[in-house]
Amino acid sequence: MNLTPDSKVIIQGFYEFISATHIAQMKAYGTNLVAGVDPGCGGQEIYDLPVFDLVEEVVDKFGAIDTTIICVHPYQVLDAALEAIASGISQIIIISAGVPPLDMVQLLRKAEAGETLVVGPNSPGIIVPGKILLGTQPSEFYTPGSVGIVSRSSTLTYEVAWELTKAGLGQSISVSIGSDAIVGSSFLQWLQILDEDDSTEAIVLVGQPGGGSEEAAARYITEAIDKPVVAYIAGRQAPPGKTWRQTGTLVTVVGRPPNFGTAQCKIAAFEAAEVPVAERPSLIPELLKKAML
Amino acid sequence: MDLLEYQVKEWFGEIGIPVLPSQRIDHPTDLKRLKIRYPIVLKSQVHAGDRAKAGGVRIVETTIDAVAAAQNIFNLPIWGELPEVVLAESKYDASQEFYLAVVLDTAICRPILLGCQEPDVDWELAGEKMQHVVVEQEFSPFYARRLALKMGLQGALMQSVSTVLEKMYQLFIQKDLDLVEINPLAINNSGEVMALNGKVRVNERAIGRHPEIAAMAAKIANYHGTNQINARFGEWDSLAMHGRIGILGNGTGSMMATCDLVASAGGKPGMCLNLRHASIIDTSPTTFGDRLVKGLNILAADKSIQVILINLLGSIPQPKAAATAIVDFVLGNKGELPSSVVRSNGNKREHLSPNLVIRLAGSELNAAKDVLAPLEAHDDGLIVVENLDEAVAAAVSLVKSPAYKKAS
Repeated sequence: MNLTPDSKVIIQGFYEFISATHIAQMKAYGTNLVAGVDPGCGGQEIYDLPVFDLVEEVVDKFGAIDTTIICVHPYQVLDAALEAIASGISQIIIISAGVPPLDMVQLLRKAEAGETLVVGPNSPGIIVPGKILLGTQPSEFYTPGSVGIVSRSSTLTYEVAWELTKAGLGQSISVSIGSDAIVGSSFLQWLQILDEDDSTEAIVLVGQPGGGSEEAAARYITEAIDKPVVAYIAGRQAPPGKTWRQTGTLVTVVGRPPNFGTAQCKIAAFEAAEVPVAERPSLIPELLKKAML
Repeated sequence: MDLLEYQVKEWFGEIGIPVLPSQRIDHPTDLKRLKIRYPIVLKSQVHAGDRAKAGGVRIVETTIDAVAAAQNIFNLPIWGELPEVVLAESKYDASQEFYLAVVLDTAICRPILLGCQEPDVDWELAGEKMQHVVVEQEFSPFYARRLALKMGLQGALMQSVSTVLEKMYQLFIQKDLDLVEINPLAINNSGEVMALNGKVRVNERAIGRHPEIAAMAAKIANYHGTNQINARFGEWDSLAMHGRIGILGNGTGSMMATCDLVASAGGKPGMCLNLRHASIIDTSPTTFGDRLVKGLNILAADKSIQVILINLLGSIPQPKAAATAIVDFVLGNKGELPSSVVRSNGNKREHLSPNLVIRLAGSELNAAKDVLAPLEAHDDGLIVVENLDEAVAAAVSLVKSPAYKKAS
């Protein structure tokens, strides 16, 4: 991961989820935004950024690019990401929400083959408080410190950051991996990054119903993570998700537990891994302080 | 979104999956102009399952019998759903029947091929009988042959079943499906395969890039009636709860966390809507403000909802416009309700506009606070709070306050 202020960053597209404010905020944070890419707008300036028609034109002009932040219409995300990969960009943050899942399947196959890190879709990106902002996270809720946050929900990421800030606990890195059904990077990848990061002393993991990534994270924490972890899972009240069949989905076919995907199943997995689970966001600081003792 | 059998079969036919000659019947008299030969099967076109048991499938030999049976089927609700269309189809003599499916497994982020040597599997026990193959990389027909062999098929039958699977996969990709299923795939004595029934589930996120599917979706929405809240509700990323506190959040996680907090504070969450996404059926571009207005109107039209709790944190696009939308909503509700909220029987509901509790946190939202402040000062049933726990407590106590005891 290159999360340093000298890392070169571009923005592909200026669709709904990014605004002048976001871009100004990133610049004010010291993020090295070099250009925007918006087909048909080459040669113009958007939000004070020089705009190009193709990613490769930016690379020709500024040299290798470290990170791209993709904010195009969800139906153009796959194309934009493939274009970024073709131009040698290895960190992709997708802000756009609602990307068709089969597009993500295709993108993941490509990303896995080339070891590209894909964050999102439906993610506000990454913030290293006080150092760099890659995406739309509202920096005002953050303060530099030693707690790492990895989350599947955008707004809950800020919610948790703000609770920590109010309680005097600063943050080292905060990432939302995205809340769409299929996202690029996993909890496991980020737990590993946070575990290796020297400035991180403890980790908050924020999950929600759907899939099995929290359960996998719980197992991984038992096996490989030495730093204290506290979890929060939203969606305890959520009725079981729309499934392909009421009585048996893929669950029975591929041998998963019957309550697969529910908040209850995830909470049970963390409890089994002896990871404290906060009942609500405002209780996270207390659990963290206990765990960090 | 699920398609009806006759729509599925049109798609099957276009992509080359064998289907029987059939004809769409919109009215029993259409059977007088039937182009297929008797005996035929008449099938009720409803989304609900178990239609055969409920009497929605009839085999008939003559036009007279067919018209009578069709009249019967058109008037027979299955799990509350009346068919708009009946499908007339040739009868097929099957010697063997299989189950086949292609489904997207979001947990492993890959499509899966499924197959079983018996149709109508007991899903509780499917783990033992159902075979599956994960499509790890780009699809190639060998994945389909791998499944057919796992199912225990050989020779020509292995080839013809895997060809059907290949076509199902093509359809799956071409139309952005979550599921395509053939149940049963019939095999006759000469080894020919035939899809006797099929199911297709379209991914809602992709509807907008398939104009023909968007048109179908719009038709379904209209058929269920634009005045019915449930029809509109179903188009959103939402939780269907039945309490008195409606919730609007800007993100799935935020919406669910707010719902949990209301429940743990002793309140009963009602409908919860996520404002971050547009309605899946309305494919025209929307702004956050548009979605907020729609969300407020949907919740206000639900007569069980007494308090609307809006949780907005951090960055929302155009906060000032969003706040103005809330002000308009509050002021508008003091007068006549918008006509879309009038219920279908023509009576205006006994009007009691829901109170609003708005959680706003983040400096970007200061502009929104300024817009809302005058209303709040006039005590127009509007509370603005920064802390989430406090906002939840305020919403819960409003429902319990005596002013609402008389509410229906």
